[in-house]
Amino acid sequence: MNAWTGTILRVNLKDKTIVKEALNTKWANDYVGARGLGSKYLVEEIDPAIDALGPKNRLIYMAGPLTGTSAASSGRFEICAKAPLTGTIGAANSGGYFGPELKFAGYDGIIFEGVSAKPVYLYIKDDVVELRDASDLWGLNVHETTDALNELLGSKFRISTIGQAGERMSLFACVNNDKNRANGRGGMGAVMGSKKLKAVAVRGTGSVKVAQPEAFNEAVCDARTKLRAHPVSGEGLAALGTEVLVNVINESGALPFRNFRDGAVDPNADDYSGERLAATYLIKNRGCFACSIACGRVTRVTNSPYASFGEGPEYEAGWAFGASCGVNNLAAICKANFLCNEYGLDPITMGTTIACAMELAEMGAIPEEDIGFKLFFGDADAMVRLTEMTGKGEGFGLTLGQGSYRMAEKYGHPELSMSTKKQEMPAYDGRAIQGMGLEYATSNRGGCHVRGYLTSPEILGVPVKTDPLVTEGKGALLKLFQDLTALVDSSGMCLFTTFGIGLPEISAQLRTAIGTDESDEDFLLKGERIWNLEKQFNIAAGVEKDTLPPRLLRDELKQGPATGKVCDLATMLKDYYAERGWDKEGVPTKDKLAELSLG
Amino acid sequence: MQIRYFANYRTITGRRTEEVAAPATMLALLEQLSTRYGAELRRWLLSADGLAKGENAVILLNGRHIEHLDGVATTLKEEDVVSLFPLVAGG
Repeated sequence: MNAWTGTILRVNLKDKTIVKEALNTKWANDYVGARGLGSKYLVEEIDPAIDALGPKNRLIYMAGPLTGTSAASSGRFEICAKAPLTGTIGAANSGGYFGPELKFAGYDGIIFEGVSAKPVYLYIKDDVVELRDASDLWGLNVHETTDALNELLGSKFRISTIGQAGERMSLFACVNNDKNRANGRGGMGAVMGSKKLKAVAVRGTGSVKVAQPEAFNEAVCDARTKLRAHPVSGEGLAALGTEVLVNVINESGALPFRNFRDGAVDPNADDYSGERLAATYLIKNRGCFACSIACGRVTRVTNSPYASFGEGPEYEAGWAFGASCGVNNLAAICKANFLCNEYGLDPITMGTTIACAMELAEMGAIPEEDIGFKLFFGDADAMVRLTEMTGKGEGFGLTLGQGSYRMAEKYGHPELSMSTKKQEMPAYDGRAIQGMGLEYATSNRGGCHVRGYLTSPEILGVPVKTDPLVTEGKGALLKLFQDLTALVDSSGMCLFTTFGIGLPEISAQLRTAIGTDESDEDFLLKGERIWNLEKQFNIAAGVEKDTLPPRLLRDELKQGPATGKVCDLATMLKDYYAERGWDKEGVPTKDKLAELSLG
Repeated sequence: MQIRYFANYRTITGRRTEEVAAPATMLALLEQLSTRYGAELRRWLLSADGLAKGENAVILLNGRHIEHLDGVATTLKEEDVVSLFPLVAGG
């Protein structure tokens, strides 16, 4: 098969059976791969109403058709499951080298079923696939587990693993691969922990064949040339990483400050900006498989109580521990981020949950004795300490490990959880960037910026500039971004390529790799099909309607260019549903489902 | 008026901020800064061939992108703050 290995591993953790089954090629065609294909398998195999941490949930690793090819930034793969944090369909994307290695071993994906009686890991060396005892690994963190398996199996094995947070089923535990790359959001690590699955270790010696090698190489060269020529993908991201956004978002009055409570301008934002990181703790940048962008940050903090070594922080993590918590100590922000990579925690939800706790504590809603010490915005020591307590599951860390919504609800103020569908919103204020407010409200996995990244046109002017304070046209724009993102996430390419290339270049690589004459529009339609598939799952699961925290709908901003603004969600939702061909309640119509062959 | 430099503009200018007398328009300011700091800044703000006028940069006036004002024809006042970035992205 072209671009695919044609084989899916089905692993029953209860019975310890491993079956190599043929890839469903119709689904691969209709749902592209990775996020779309993994979601299709999930939808077909589970009841949306099940307990996400129960034995009936699946944990599905899925590569895309371009994963492991020479296509630009093609190191991506997806993990899909019903998400314990949100109750929505869960799909979390990661880069690094694990996804390509899985295909080199001869597998497009792995479907884990059931629960193991004791900790295990999955060993894959080309044709040899075995469940092995992981009792000695249970209790280790991400880096320790990776090092232990690499020492045991060899350094060429690629490791995907959970840390202590996943073992304990923290609802925002992630799955890390290659140590510091993560399937980050929604709690995929908790599902893995619930199955007593510690890790997957894979080594493959094969390669991925494409349908039209010459045409494919031409398409890849064209994409790579454009990526190198673009100032963002060719220069900016390598030099300053994603943290470069801190200042431009702050200067635009859109950097949510202290749990979104105190507006969207942080007077100390430059202290933890990409510029500051490059001048202090950055050692070098790092790229994933087949990536010329190389946005990763390898960082070391020295001469500080927070001395540590690791990767990051990325922009969202830097904001979550920075502006969101009112902390401007970059060493502490790096340390908290490193701890998340060690324990296997989503740093966006970690930082924003601490920020929510800070607000509740300042209000007196959380008694000091529950936390164990006084807590207030700006306390860097407390922020790092609470991150470690969450990782270890100690004291108040157990409450934090449930995410901000359940914590705020416990203390009588669920409205102060800055989340949608119980997942925390990242680093852009929906009052200052109206389209991002719509994105948070409609994201199929709860508060998320990378389902439809309208910050790019609304603030950065990439690929075109639209006004962040205007609501008109945002419904159509967001639909386009969400559908295109679903396609990119499913292809095996990195979303960051879309800063430099678009649908024509992505489709050209897919077309020549798979061997099809489908048009660009055909591929975009698959993105729309994936979006509607996810939506149908959420409706069946009883997920709450599309909305935002009341703070974004009622509390006007008091600083910056968006002064006086709230998010005008009602206006944009109406347009968005019409653009999607959904009814007024946000339910896909029969005609729309028929058009997408989903009826 | 105040100019705020970000990203590689700080390296090029050797500054984070500076105060300048407000010229009449944003284009006049970009010309003035490009002359002062040379070709390296000019290629970002105005392009080496002079054809681009601010399109390759993110230029904010008091936090608003000039695209939503009058572009490089936007008039300036002494109390204004101009923030200058190269094209950046992330997320």
